[in-house]
Amino acid sequence: MRNLIKFISLYNYSITFLILLFVSGYFLINENFILKTKYFNSSNYLSGSVFYYQSSIVNYFKLDEKNINLEKENQRLNEKIIRSYSSVKEDIDSSLNLDYNYIKAQVINNSLRKSKNYITINKGSKDEIKVGMGVISSSGIVGKVKYVSQNFATIISTLNTSFYISSIVKKTNTLSSVNWNGDNPKTLKLLYVPKHIDIREGDEIISSSFDSIFPKGISIGKIKEIRKDVNSNFYDIDILSTQDFYNLSTVYIVKYLLVDEKVQLEKITDEK
Amino acid sequence: MRNNIFLFILLVFLQIFVLNKILFFDYIIISPIIMFLILFKYNKDSKKSLLIGFLLGLLIDVFNNSLGTYSIICVIIMYFRNLWVLKVVGEERADELNLLSVQELGSFQFFYYSFPILFLFYSLLSFLESEIIISAENILFIILSCFTNYIIMLTFQYLFLKFNFKNEWR
Repeated sequence: MRNLIKFISLYNYSITFLILLFVSGYFLINENFILKTKYFNSSNYLSGSVFYYQSSIVNYFKLDEKNINLEKENQRLNEKIIRSYSSVKEDIDSSLNLDYNYIKAQVINNSLRKSKNYITINKGSKDEIKVGMGVISSSGIVGKVKYVSQNFATIISTLNTSFYISSIVKKTNTLSSVNWNGDNPKTLKLLYVPKHIDIREGDEIISSSFDSIFPKGISIGKIKEIRKDVNSNFYDIDILSTQDFYNLSTVYIVKYLLVDEKVQLEKITDEK
Repeated sequence: MRNNIFLFILLVFLQIFVLNKILFFDYIIISPIIMFLILFKYNKDSKKSLLIGFLLGLLIDVFNNSLGTYSIICVIIMYFRNLWVLKVVGEERADELNLLSVQELGSFQFFYYSFPILFLFYSLLSFLESEIIISAENILFIILSCFTNYIIMLTFQYLFLKFNFKNEWR
């Protein structure tokens, strides 16, 4: 025992270093570590409030840009309404999307340069935001809710290497996945499209709704480059993202009203 | 002393809310906290310096959604720096210095002391944030960020620490 105390007092500096290194390493490795969920992310009260005030100042200087985006969104929605009057198919599509509700929120913090990027918004559990809900903007898919506090929520952005979106190629209806490889923030990867499918550059990629996070038809991007990798059964495809993360300010949280019913039914089916 | 505390808070604030979000010319990150880690007074086997490094890193992590990244980097940098300063200036002189600044060390010795620390800081940051060990882009990022931060660090010291480095930052 005396030797142990002597050892500790002799090497207490190195021991402190190792303990701090271990604690930091533990924080780093454990993505879903409970402390991270509760306190150490930008949706907590302290950093969320600070980011809220910061963004309200920054947003003031972006009003012109916001106005232009709103005008564009307005125009797009008007066109959609006009089309829906003249097309029966459009009516059916929009009636399917009635299963979803949308909650508007403002982006108060947004990271872009890391391989795992997050966004913080000014809505939280008191606005009925829950972990796992999808987030979109007028330009397309933004991400998925990761952590929620009372007033804020953190979103795992499309620009996060661990986030996959269930997608389809609009022209051929081919089921696929979209992921970011950590390089260019404007370019995403389209995965699992078999080589026998006829696809072309410029084809639109949209959300599939199979993951119960996003409604079907939300724009993700357009095919930019197709490569036929010899050693794989699938194409190597780059898509140009429709989302401009550099100018993201208003987002909509997607609330799928039938999610519980769907999950329960699928669970019963899996069990049987 | 009060001025330096104000300056320190300002630097941390700048790092968290402005500089952490900007990648200058696609390759350069300016980090005022590395300046603090380099300049901090040396004390032999000081657990306080390790703890301060850890808490500073943790504070930045909270606002940066990167729990663990900056805390592990700051702890490693503090440990490395406490060993490295002994190699550069020797234990006796290191104990006497109030601040490990360019005014106290001299231009050549300060470069010899601070540049490897900057290099280690940006290498660790590049590895932990991009999860890629070696790539041409990462090497360019490390080199450009090191040089830019070195120049900013020198400018800062000549501007703000010229007349008040005695008995301060203790």
